[in-house]
Amino acid sequence: MSDRRNRNLVLLLLAAGLLLMTVPLQESIHELRPHVFDPERKTKRVSAINIGPMPAVIAALGGFRTVAADVLWLRVERDFHGGNWWEIPSLLDAVNQLDPHFLLAWEVHGWHLAYNLHAESETLVDRRHYLGRGIAVLEDAVEANPDSWELTKELAWTLYDRGREPWRAAEYFRRADEFPESKSYVTRMIYRCYEGVLDIPNLMEALEYARNRHTDPNVADDVQHQVIVNDNYNWWLQHKDDPLEHRRQIVKENTARAQRSRPFYLYPDNPHWDVCPHCGLPSPKGSEFCSTYGHPMKPSSGSSRSPGGSRPPAEATSI
Amino acid sequence: MGNLPFAIGFVVVVALLAVTHRLWVPALGHGAASTWRIAKITVAEARRRRVVQAVVVLVLLVLLFMNFFSYLNPREQARMIISGGLSAITVFGILLAIFVAAFLIPQELENRTVYAVLSKPVRRFEFVLGKYLGAMIILAVIMTIMTVVLVGVLLVQDHFVPDFDHSVFEPNLDNVIFAAVMSYFAVAVLAAYIVLISTVSSTAMTVIASFLIWAIGSLQSQIHDLAEAAETVFQKWFFTMFYWIMPPLENFDFRHEVSNFMHVSYRAGINAAGEGVLYIIIVLIVASIFFNDRQM
Amino acid sequence: MVSDEIVLQIEGLSKIFRSLFAPTGVKAVDSLSLSVRRGETYSIVGPNGSGKTTTLKIVLGLIFPTSGTASIFGGNVADVSVRERIGFLPEDAYLYDVFTGEELLDFYAGLFGYPARRRKELVDELLSLVGMQANRRVPFRECSKGMRQRLALAQALVNDPELLILDEPTSGLDPAGRHQMTELIFELKRRGKTILLCSHFLAEVEEVCDRVGIMYRGRLVAEGTLAELAGAPTEIVITTSGLAPEGASRVGAHSAVLGIDGDAVRMGQESSDELWSVLDAIREAGARVGEVRRPRPSLQDVFVRAIRQDAGEQDVAEEVH
Ligand SMILES: Nc1ncnc2c1ncn2[C@@H]1O[C@H](COP(=O)(O)OP(=O)(O)O)[C@@H](O)[C@H]1O
Ligand SMILES: [Mg+2]
Repeated sequence: MSDRRNRNLVLLLLAAGLLLMTVPLQESIHELRPHVFDPERKTKRVSAINIGPMPAVIAALGGFRTVAADVLWLRVERDFHGGNWWEIPSLLDAVNQLDPHFLLAWEVHGWHLAYNLHAESETLVDRRHYLGRGIAVLEDAVEANPDSWELTKELAWTLYDRGREPWRAAEYFRRADEFPESKSYVTRMIYRCYEGVLDIPNLMEALEYARNRHTDPNVADDVQHQVIVNDNYNWWLQHKDDPLEHRRQIVKENTARAQRSRPFYLYPDNPHWDVCPHCGLPSPKGSEFCSTYGHPMKPSSGSSRSPGGSRPPAEATSI
Repeated sequence: MGNLPFAIGFVVVVALLAVTHRLWVPALGHGAASTWRIAKITVAEARRRRVVQAVVVLVLLVLLFMNFFSYLNPREQARMIISGGLSAITVFGILLAIFVAAFLIPQELENRTVYAVLSKPVRRFEFVLGKYLGAMIILAVIMTIMTVVLVGVLLVQDHFVPDFDHSVFEPNLDNVIFAAVMSYFAVAVLAAYIVLISTVSSTAMTVIASFLIWAIGSLQSQIHDLAEAAETVFQKWFFTMFYWIMPPLENFDFRHEVSNFMHVSYRAGINAAGEGVLYIIIVLIVASIFFNDRQM
Repeated sequence: MVSDEIVLQIEGLSKIFRSLFAPTGVKAVDSLSLSVRRGETYSIVGPNGSGKTTTLKIVLGLIFPTSGTASIFGGNVADVSVRERIGFLPEDAYLYDVFTGEELLDFYAGLFGYPARRRKELVDELLSLVGMQANRRVPFRECSKGMRQRLALAQALVNDPELLILDEPTSGLDPAGRHQMTELIFELKRRGKTILLCSHFLAEVEEVCDRVGIMYRGRLVAEGTLAELAGAPTEIVITTSGLAPEGASRVGAHSAVLGIDGDAVRMGQESSDELWSVLDAIREAGARVGEVRRPRPSLQDVFVRAIRQDAGEQDVAEEVH
């Protein structure tokens, strides 16, 4: 009887000793997998309200968050192709919380808010709301996945393209460009951000950076760009205090724009259309009468026109 | 930080083993032989049970029909197949573990087959260990088959599905296999707990408790968080105790990293495996304490 | 053949099963003491629920006594070396049912660490001993009750044990099976095994065993050789034929005659003169004498008597308190 009790005591002590031996192993696991064990990790605020009972059960049964996220992702897929667009964000919220490393879900979430719902919104307040949420989602995404190139790039792009925050966008493009898998267009996006707001010093710096960053043929593009920017900048430095030159440039630009926007049928040597000498509107080549007003196409008076009909646009002549 | 407890534990274990060496060293050879015989007959018995055969076939069918998300983009599909496949392996492994391990010993008691064995020169610990090892061999075989089938499905996806990105699965096959091996460790640890419970409770209660332990063990990190965030000393103690007593199942769960194509820390896996083996030994020791005192 | 060496010693053994439903507990075995000597066949007999199986399980270390001790070969059954020398046939024995007889025996022999060749010989030997050679490849679950019981006995014999413990070896068998099993036990007894068996079936025990312990409500109410238990014969029975009723009454009037049941005349154990005078009286009554016997009481009678006695004592004891 007491023999048995002694043996049990020894065995229990042995078990306790072994349990103590697991402590450093567990601690090293905590360090090696911070995304699972770090209490600060962005994850697991999942509630059954968000995700519905089935996935909640799957998730609660332990270790099936990824699968639950997949189930919800399929629902997103379904909603996207013919369900309610406005319900997708709450589903995607749940997906992101269940599986904060599901990159595509983050990306789609941010894109859906900042692009689709932003565009679908009917009031300015709504637009702002969805845009802000989209950007916030992508910021969360980057925070949860700091080593994801795609997400960093996506956030930068959304900031640049939708958020009108070129400086922050440039920062994230810079970050994205530090990843080994980065592409040259990301590098070039850095200076495009500064270019849009004419932040010349940063622009020059970014161009310099871009030139040094890549050794592939795209560098030519960057060099070319730097030359153009340089020229323009220098020109601007020379002429920024000369109001006449300024005005001349405006006229030149406007003229060029007018030229560019000339109607197709006024292009020289147009093979398909004739231009009515009376109203100036097009009719198919060889018509006898103008197809709009029935003017005779052949000028009755002797005054001859060149067949191409290169009547200059009104605006251009007025200046 | 963890070195002090380790040192204490190590000293305790070595000291106990040294002090009691006269009791266990001579028993090693014969004990190992009978343990192995019991393990073998457990495997042989399971192989002849129709239920086990049926389950294996079912699992294989499920895995073979995993590749159905053809309307998703390749990367998503890859993610779903990997996470779905690994989860299927884990779920089936754990369900099998629950139903194999929960009946392992109670079945023997109920059928009265245990008397013929325990009246032979077999120690009760050897019996428990042999039964457990047998179950582990069965599960290893089944899970290996499942893993092979999953890998096969992935390779087929890579090579035969048109316009499928060829570089999706093959570079990740080693990670997939690694995650499957880790699931096996989770199954092994859980099975040890189930055997422990089955030595003291009825089969139905064992099955229910197994599911509970599975769920709690998979929420390991949350329990850890609760312990960290505890406000009173009592709470902290409670959650910490709970944390160390429950099986560390999350340690073995690499499905998340693998299906998201993230970095997989093999080092963490090796440590987890080591810790799992320690846990199995601990739990089986406790189980044999209970089983030693069990009246049959 | 029986030596003085004590193989199995039980002293003051008690077992109380406590449970939720019976908090005070069920007293399955109550201060039981007995000993079995080498070469002896000892039988514990008692009605169902009298604690026989419980006793055997304690002896084998399958359950633990509330108090008292049981030792085999002077040692504890918890020792593996002790269990190497005993064989146990459990009550309603059931083995792994997906395996055939030869696989099962091979497995159990393996638990003793025998090498493969020895196991093979042993399995053949045992199968022919228990008469299962023809059915060696029948899975256990397809075996009849008799085949199962014989396999279970073979299982208990794989280590050629010195002490055999058999729990209800013949229960649930048909008469032929019971006969076979009894023959087997005789054979084992002839081979010099010490056998401890228990049964609620008396006839089997009467044939086989050297000593009997009668167990009732967890207590050993009587113990001894068959002859001791039955006691000395107390009467003479004379079987007659052709005893007419008026003759019978005349014979019955004889002072030594205790009673007449049909053709059998019972008389007390008087001197031989009395016997002769009774025989004369029978002859005079016109009947013939068939047989003169001094029957012992059957074990059944002893059993019933012992139990009655025990119950009576208890009742008395209860009345006193
Ligand atoms: N595990 C147990 N728990 C509670 N009571 C038991 C247990 N085993 C046996 N008993 C009780 O002990 C008594 C003796 O049982 P048992 O030894 O099996 O009798 P026998 O073998 O002589 O028929 C019975 O009353 C039975 O109900
Ligand atoms: Mg019984």
